[in-house]
Order: sequence, then C-alpha cells, then structure tokens
Amino acid sequence: MANNHHRLLLDKITINRHDKALLSINASVEKGHILSVMGASGSGKSTLLHAISGQLASPFTLLGNIVIDGKTMNNVPAYRRKVGYMFQDALLFDHMTVEGNIAFGLPPKKYTTKSARERAILGMLEAVDLSGLQKRAVSSLSGGQQARVSLLRTLASEPKVVLLDEPFSKLDTALREHIRTWTFATLKEQGVAALLVTHDADDAAAAKGDIIELTPC
Amino acid sequence: MILPNRLLVLRLEDKATMFGVSAIRIRQVIAVLMLMLFASFASKANQIATNQITTNQLTTSQSPHATPTPAKSASTRRVTSDEIEPQTVRFHAWGGSAQVNGYLQWVSEQVKKEYNINLQHVKLADTSDAVSRVLAEKAAGNHSEGSVDLIWINGENFAAMKQHGLLEPEWVSSIENFALTNPQQNAAMVTDFGEATLGMEAPWGKASMVFYYRQSHLEALSLKAPTTIEALLTFAQKAPGRFTYPIPNDYLGITFLKYAALTLNKEYLDDFYSPVSPEALARVLLALWQYLDKLHPLMWRKGQTMLRQASQLQRLMGSGELSLAFSFTAAEIPSAVERFDLPLDIRTYAMHDGSLANVHFIGLTFNAASKNAAKTVVNFLLSPEAQAQKQKLTVWGDDTVLDMTQLNQAQRQLFIQDTPHASALDKTLSTPLLAEPHASWTDALRDAWFKRYGARY
Amino acid sequence: MFTRLTVLARWILLVVLVVPVVAGLIGVVFPALGYFPVLGATTFSFDVFKQLNSVDGLGRMVWLSLFTGLGATLLSIAGAFFLLAASYQTKAFRYLQGLLSPLLALPHAATAIALLFVISPSGIIARLFTASGEGVMVSAGMSKWSFAFPYDELGLSVLFALTLKELPFVVLMAMSVMSQPQLSHKFKSYLAIGASCGYTPIASFMKLVLPLVYRQIRLPLLAVVVFATSNVEIPLILGPNNPSTLSVAVFYWFNHIDLSLRLLGSAAAILQVGVSCLALLTFIFVEKIVSKVASSQRIQGTRTFFDFFIITKAAGIVGLYVVLCGLVVYSVIMHSVAQYWVFPALYPSGLTLLHWQTVLGGMLPPIVNTLLLGVAVSVSSVIIVLLALESELLKPTKSTMTLVLSLALFLPLLVPGVAFLYGLVWLQQIVLASATWFHTFIAHLVYVLPYVFMALAVAYRKFDNRYAMVAQSLGKTPWQVFTHVKLPLLTSPILVAWALGASISFSQYLPTLLASGGTLPTITTEAVASASGNSSRVTAVYLIIQALLPLVAFIIAWWAPTLLVNRKRGENGVLSSVSKESEVLNGK
Repeated sequence: MANNHHRLLLDKITINRHDKALLSINASVEKGHILSVMGASGSGKSTLLHAISGQLASPFTLLGNIVIDGKTMNNVPAYRRKVGYMFQDALLFDHMTVEGNIAFGLPPKKYTTKSARERAILGMLEAVDLSGLQKRAVSSLSGGQQARVSLLRTLASEPKVVLLDEPFSKLDTALREHIRTWTFATLKEQGVAALLVTHDADDAAAAKGDIIELTPC
Repeated sequence: MILPNRLLVLRLEDKATMFGVSAIRIRQVIAVLMLMLFASFASKANQIATNQITTNQLTTSQSPHATPTPAKSASTRRVTSDEIEPQTVRFHAWGGSAQVNGYLQWVSEQVKKEYNINLQHVKLADTSDAVSRVLAEKAAGNHSEGSVDLIWINGENFAAMKQHGLLEPEWVSSIENFALTNPQQNAAMVTDFGEATLGMEAPWGKASMVFYYRQSHLEALSLKAPTTIEALLTFAQKAPGRFTYPIPNDYLGITFLKYAALTLNKEYLDDFYSPVSPEALARVLLALWQYLDKLHPLMWRKGQTMLRQASQLQRLMGSGELSLAFSFTAAEIPSAVERFDLPLDIRTYAMHDGSLANVHFIGLTFNAASKNAAKTVVNFLLSPEAQAQKQKLTVWGDDTVLDMTQLNQAQRQLFIQDTPHASALDKTLSTPLLAEPHASWTDALRDAWFKRYGARY
Repeated sequence: MFTRLTVLARWILLVVLVVPVVAGLIGVVFPALGYFPVLGATTFSFDVFKQLNSVDGLGRMVWLSLFTGLGATLLSIAGAFFLLAASYQTKAFRYLQGLLSPLLALPHAATAIALLFVISPSGIIARLFTASGEGVMVSAGMSKWSFAFPYDELGLSVLFALTLKELPFVVLMAMSVMSQPQLSHKFKSYLAIGASCGYTPIASFMKLVLPLVYRQIRLPLLAVVVFATSNVEIPLILGPNNPSTLSVAVFYWFNHIDLSLRLLGSAAAILQVGVSCLALLTFIFVEKIVSKVASSQRIQGTRTFFDFFIITKAAGIVGLYVVLCGLVVYSVIMHSVAQYWVFPALYPSGLTLLHWQTVLGGMLPPIVNTLLLGVAVSVSSVIIVLLALESELLKPTKSTMTLVLSLALFLPLLVPGVAFLYGLVWLQQIVLASATWFHTFIAHLVYVLPYVFMALAVAYRKFDNRYAMVAQSLGKTPWQVFTHVKLPLLTSPILVAWALGASISFSQYLPTLLASGGTLPTITTEAVASASGNSSRVTAVYLIIQALLPLVAFIIAWWAPTLLVNRKRGENGVLSSVSKESEVLNGK
C-alpha cells in the first residue's frame, strides 16, 4: 500500500447476520476527522462498531477488510487494535476511583512509575476542569463529569481510532451540546480518527465530517 | 438436593452495582479460597500417602505363613509417641448410641496416649453398610488397603462376612488379653449364634434381653408389667397401641421373634439348637403365627407401621408413645435416663419365662490397612480397665466378657459397681437365660416372618 | 492461553457432569442384568428383573413413589404460583424471600427430622392440643381420631414434607427469573396493561406473567419431579414401610446384609429410573392439559382469576410456614437443651448443656471434613463455572454444544441419585480405591456444579458486557478483563454461588456416605445416623448445627462484600482504597 495510509479504512465491508447481509459500507476516516454514520435502529450501526473494535460475535460475520494505518486488523484481537470505544453510558468501573479508571487506560510501558502516572492523570483532569476529583468514587460524579472521565479514560489508552456509539443520547439537552462540543474538539486536538454512530442529525452535523446514511440491505 | 437461592444472587448483585468492590480485596478472597482448596488437596494427598506407608509396612512385616506373633509384641511393647508415625485404625461400629460413642471416644483417647494409634470411630447407621463396603473392596480386588479395619458385629453380619471370606482368620488367639475371657471354659466366647468364630472375631461384650416400662403409664392404665409372653398379649389387649417391636431386619426385632418362638415352643426347645429344618420350622411357626396374628393389630399403629431400628424403640419410649419396650442392653436404660433420653419413671425387669442372651464381637477385616495397630486396639478393648470402664452404668453399662476368675484382686476391684439406679435392672433377682438359637434359625424365622407379614422396607 | 483455559474448563464441566452419572448407571445395569462376579453371578439374563417382578407389593411401591413425587411437585407448584400471584408487586413479595430462603438451605433429611419434632403424636402440636388434665398418655391412635403423621400408608406425610421442601424452591426459582431486569421491566408493563384493561392484579399475573415465567423455570421443575419421585431421606424418615417407596426399597436392598440382594437393588434402581421417567411423562401430559385449558381460558376475557381462592390459599400457606417454622425452631432448640420433658408438658423440666457437650465432644472431625469438602467443592465449582461461562463469550459454541451442555447440567438432577450412586461407588472401587477424598469430592461436585452454574449463569449473562468491551478497547487482554473488571464487579453473585455450592455440599448424605464408604463423617451423615439413634435430644443438636452451617456460608457471602465496601467508604473522599489504586497505578 502507498505511504499516505488512511487512519481508518473500511474496505468494502459487509456484515452478515447468519448468512444474510445486514449492512455494507465502504469508507475512510483521517486523523482528526469524524465520520458520522446514521441509520434507523436495527440498521446495524452498533454491529459495525463491534466489527471495527474486534468484538463481533456470532451470528454476525464480517466480509472485507478493516485497515488502520495500512494494517489489516481483521485477525488482530480487540485489545491490540488501539480502537477506543465509547457508549451512551459512561461505563466507568465502579470498583475503581476516577484516578483508577483513567490509570486503567494508560499504557503501562509509557508510564512506568507511579508518580509518572499520577502526573499524567492530574494533567488530563486539569485540562478538563476536573482537578481534585482523582480520589473520588465514580458513582459520586455528575453525569457530565462521568462522560468526561470516560473520554479521558479512552484517550489515556492513546487510541488511533475512537468509536462513539450514540455517546450523547443519555445526556440532558443542556449538558448535551456542551459535552458534544468538548468531545469533538478534544478528539480533533488529539488527532484521532473517530467514527460516530447516531440517529440524531444534530450530532452528525456538529461532527462537521462526512455523513453516511446506513440503509438496511 | 438442596435448592439454589437465586433470589439471593439477585439481591446481592444490586448491591454490587450500587457500591462496587475493591479489586485487591477480591483477589485476597480468591487467594484465600485457593489456598484452602490446595490445603484440602494436600491433606488428601497426605492421607493417600499414609495409607501407602501403612500397607507397605504390613507387606514387609507379615509373611503369609508366619505365626501371628507380631501382634503380641505390638500389644506388649509400649511405644512413645515420637518413636514411630502414628497409625490410623478405622473402627466401624454402629453410631446410634451416645453412650457407645462416648465410650469409644474414651478408648481412642487412651490408645492415642498409650500406643500412639489414631482410632477413628466410623459411625454406622447400619452395620451392613460396612459389610457392603468390604465386599465391594474385595470385588474390586483391594486386598491390602481396605477402608475398614475393625468392625463391631455378631450373628448374621458375622455369618455373612465369614461366608464371603471378608474376615481375617485365626488372629484372636494372639491377643494377649483374650485369655482373660477363659475361652476353654466358656464356649460363648468362641461361638457366635451357633457359628464357630474360628478366631475371626474377638468377644467384646455380653447382653441379655430385658423389658422396660413407664410406671406412670401403667398406673394410669391400672396394669402390671407382663412377665411372660402370654401376659404380654393380655397387656396389649388391655392397652392397645402401647407396645411394638422392630421389623426382624433389626437385631432387636429378630431377638423378639426368637424370644417369642422359644417361649411359645417350650416342648420343641431342642430343635432350636441345631441347624433349622423345614419340619422343625413348621412346628414352631404354628404357635408363633397364632400369637403374632393376635398381637399385631394390638400394637403401635395397629402393626401397620413397624420400626426399622431398635433405637427408635427407645425413642418412642422417651416420647411417651409407647408404654412398654425391650432392649438387649440392660445398662443402656438407666444410662439413657441419666442422659434425659428416657423419663424418670422407667423401670427395667427381666421376663420370668426367660431372657435371650448373647455375646457381641469385634472382627478384623481380611484387607485391613493397619492390622497390627488394629490388634493392639482389640487387646486394649479386652483389658480389665477398658472392660470395667465399659461396664460402668454412667458410661455404657455393657457387661464384660472377662471371666472374673482369671483376674487378680486389683483387676476385680475395677468392676465393683456404684449404687443401683432406680431405673436399672435389679441384678439380685435371678432370671433364666435363653441361649441364642443356631444362626440358621435367624434367616429362617425372618424369611418366614416377611413372607407372612409383608416386605416392610 | 486464557481462552484455551476457559475452553478446557468447559470440557471439565461437561466431563464431571456426565461421566460419573453415565458410569454409575453402567455400574448398576450390569448387576441388574445378572453380572456381578464377586457374588459368582457371571451370566447375563433377565432373571433379576423376574425376581424383582415377583417381589411382594412392588406395584404399591411404584405407586407410592409416583403418588408422593408427582403429588408433591404439583402441589408445590400450585402453592408457589398462588404465593407469587398474591404477592407480586406488593410488599409481601420481599418478605416471602426472607421467609422461604432459609428453608432452601436446610437439608431434606433435616426437614423430615424437624417435622417429627412438631407433628408426631407426641410432638409439640399434640401437646398444645392436650389439656394437662388428660394425663400422661400420648394418643395411641388406635380408636378415635388419630394422627396420619408420620408413617401413614398412603404416603401423605411424605407428600406433605416433600411439598413443604419443594415449594420454596419453586417460588425462589420463579422469583429469580422475574427479577431479571429485562423481564421484570416487561412484566411490570404487562401488569399495567392488564390493569388498564380492567384485569385484577392476580388475573393479570396468572394470564400474562406466569406463562412466560413458567417457560423459564420448566427444566428445574422437571428436576423437582425426578427428585421428588426418587428421594430417599424423606420417605425413609417419614414414610410407610409396609411397603415403602421404591427408592427406599433400593436403598434397603443395597444395604442389606444378604449381599445377593444387591442384584435385586440394581434392577430396582433401573426400575426407579423408569418410574422417574414415567413421572416426567405424566407431568408433561398434565402440563399439556393445563396449558390447553389455560390458553382458552386466557382469551375468554374474564377479568378475575379465582382471586379470593388464591389469596386465601396463599395466606394459608404463609400461615402454615410461619407456624411450622416457629414450632420447629421452638421444639428443636428446646430439645437440644432439655432435661426430662414428659408428655404433654409444653416445656422441659429443666435445661442442660449435656447434649451439646455430647455432640461437640466428637464434633471436630465431622466439622473439619464438612468444611474441607464444602470449601474445596464449592471453590472448584465456582472456578470451573466462571471459566466455562467466560468461554461462552470468548469462544461461543455451536448450538448443539450449547444444548448438550444445558442437558448435561441437568443430568445429575434428572437421573435419580439412588440409581447411579451405587454404580459409581462400584467403579470407584476399581479405580483408585484408596482415593477416598477424591471420590467424595467428585460425588459432591456432580451435585454442586449444576446449582453453582445456574446461580452464576444468571448473574454472568446479565453482566453488561460493554464494560468488557470498553476494557478491551483500552488495550486489556481477556485475562486482564476477567480479573480486573468482571470478577470485581461480580463479587457478590460469585460469593453467593459459592455459599450455595458449599451449603449443597454440606447437605449431601447419600453421595458422602457411599463415595467415602463412611470414612469421611460429615455433619449430615452424623445427623442422619443420629436420627436412627436413640436420643432425640442429640438429634436436635445435630439439626441445629446442620441448619447453622449453610447459614454461616450465606452470611459470609452477604457480609463480605458489604464489609469490603464499607471499608472503602470509610476511606473515601480523602484517599480511597490506596492499595488497589496503587496496584492499577503500578501498571498491572
């Protein structure tokens, strides 16, 4: 392949359910860009994300190639793909503190000492106005705070691609726009490629990237 | 089957998601549980290892033709606890009596102290469980690592084990204290229900049949305790539902049948002491059936339900459902009163028309894993101190098998009993004893009974 | 690596569930066909079955097994549904859990023995109804009104005891299904729709909720049918013996001094399998009829469903349980410390600790054995089951394998224990005769695994797998996800499954006795032995210890997580659980 790879390339992807085609997509996303995929419920948006993250389970099967930075990922296990995954719930681990959740995402090889980790986490929290919350139990955070910590945790693992599965749909309207703007800005700033699935046209518009409409096969 | 408690699962899950739990704690819990798991495996491994050690010792120390002298040396030599590895002897004995269990506990403390032997009392609900076990081991070709070392038996269990070759032959004469039973003069020590013991089992205790009643019940009924088999029927007619006997699978059940058969057939008494013949059986059954046909409808639950086990008889006496019952161990009655299992108004007596009497034994299995240690235990059980302890009313009250003429003054002194108990049998009254019929009668009477009165499993 | 380990666990699960049962069955089929070399029987024939056929009262034994087993199953299901219908979505629902849960942990033998203390002619109820002026005589039951309990010829006492014991199981099974989040949400809305159409809550429950719940608990109910028709302990302790149920006859023949009766026992064990199958067929037939009637009844549009009948019956059942439990607790505790206690006194003449001393004096080995076995069995069950469940996610199976696995789970519960355990022991004697601990461990595992699996599967499958997906997307391997995310989040259900496994292991009588040859006395074997002994007071002590052990396990399961959390709470806000954090921070 050529030198200037796409960050994420969905190369003639078709996902089958049992032996019936569920969806087909052919697309690419560059660093700092957000691709929005829209579709009604049942169109297979989430299944597509499972496929990209490497967590596709039966009865679904994948045809075509998922390529990140020129490397085909189809047979790479989920935990080695460097694909972050965000759901509509923050899904913070209740049995860890804020700090623990983020530390869980940090790559161990890069931060070898405890103090290095603590510093990194502190920096990340400060950047999002959450400093001082390191030792808090996650269940004591507000919805907006949880959403931010969740993104920090994802970014801490230094993903190349981030998948967003309707990440704002559970937030109330006031908070929603704020978190959305912040999330998209942060993603762009970090230079990751993001793929957003949503059924909300506002989300897609705010992403300011390409929009693909999934239609059931 | 215990049934799962999923509701608890659910309730707790809610908590788990509400709070959340520290990862390190969980790991600690798991680590502890794993440790416990390994510990249990380790102890299993240890047990297997000790089993192997003991069998090795046996195979090296006992050549098949050697005279069994090692037992004697084992029994006379006192070993200090750190001299050799402790051996485990498993004594399979009926565990339904607190007194017997308590006594065996005392025994195991003594042999631990004296000989560094771990005596394990395997409490059986039914002695035939252990017989089955040994048989299964023989079937599977286990000839040296048996799980049963000693077994408390007599009568039919002995006959069955003898027939199937499940007992070690000719070992009893090597037990030092066996001589104290004076076996040359006392045939009962080497005969078990008419069967020669052939040195397969050592006598342990003696028993004779006694009856006991609730004084307050008899007063309320204005009745006197029956003293003959005929009077028993009259008693049942006047107080229906107050008496029963266990089914003849049980030793007390068959004992009652034998007592009735013997006392109802005084003219054919000799027949009982030779192997049973169809004619002799038919002769004695006539009177027996006539009697039982009349008795059964007058028994507890109209004879429809009969007890499976002798111990339940004592239980029903304790609860007051019965007013009259019988036992083979006179001493267990005052001792049960002492332990509150029977009420204070219990009185014990012997029938005037005869009491059935027999000896109970300890067998050594052919594949016992620790034969020498087992023999040491038997020697201890036959010692004057152990026999005297056993005869104490407060302990068990089982009559000794030792012949007092073989003991010295100090040893005899051990057997002097404490003050008599109101519920105990008055031993000053002499009662005619009836010897056990030949063992073949047991099966014959039982089979005939089951044929006539139903299976009653 | 880890994935392979989980797949291995799946196979271990399958092997442990299937091999002992199948091997055990083979071990009784041979003797039943006349092949038992040690007794000199070496030719195959149907003679043993002919002999069995000529046994007096065989038909009656089969009938007793069917009648008590099926009767108890149907009654307990009906009773359970009445309770659920009357209490669903009321406060009583929660109290019901509290009332019935402890009964689950009580072994069957203990239940039967406990009932004797209460309902026998000299029991506490008879005492309550005997005026003290009537004297010292217990009703002999010969003339006037007499007690049917225990030992009645029809088997009603057995039926009653089985029903008492199985009803809580059915209720709690149904409750666990009903409280699954997806379903409970659905059911709530069904009830709302029912109400808006003018159906009473009971009618809505019976017509809308129950059919869906029933489908989910059907397999466990079939296991109840088999269990109730083949149980030994309850008919042994409470049943008639002229004749007894078939299972007791099997038990009796296998333990008889006359060793040749073992062949007959084997044939009867095979017949027992047949009887349980017949019971299953009958049950399925009844099911069919009821579902036919119910489905036509459902669309008739009647807005009520025997509301008054159901509510009164439910109240009656609750009342019965409360009264019985109260009386059992009173008389058992009193007996365990009683001096003389002559009929018809309501309390003993004095109190003593003698019986406790008697029991506790020789208690250490049985307690140690019980705990070691219980812990070893339950811990290994939990580990095997967790890994096997994880393998479902990591390496999903084909649908046939899934079916095989779920059938295997119920195999030990669907094959009567009296049928395969004796065969199993015979085989264990051939292989590794001296590995007593191992054999007993396996025999327990066969019974514990299915329940641990059932208990954990609900929780595990309910676990929000997106947590695992997030963790994986953060670069964590399946093993790290399993240990750092799943296990901590599932601590409570895991501990409860462990406690359940331990309590089932504690309660095993037949498997312990047979597999260990009696060389591993446990609390339960000692308790049953004492039930046949001469002291009801000692039995009472054993009963209490037997009831306490599982309770302790469950208390540990309940309190351990809360305790851990409370600790954490205590440190919280300032510096929460430093040790754990540092572990994460250290890059684990």
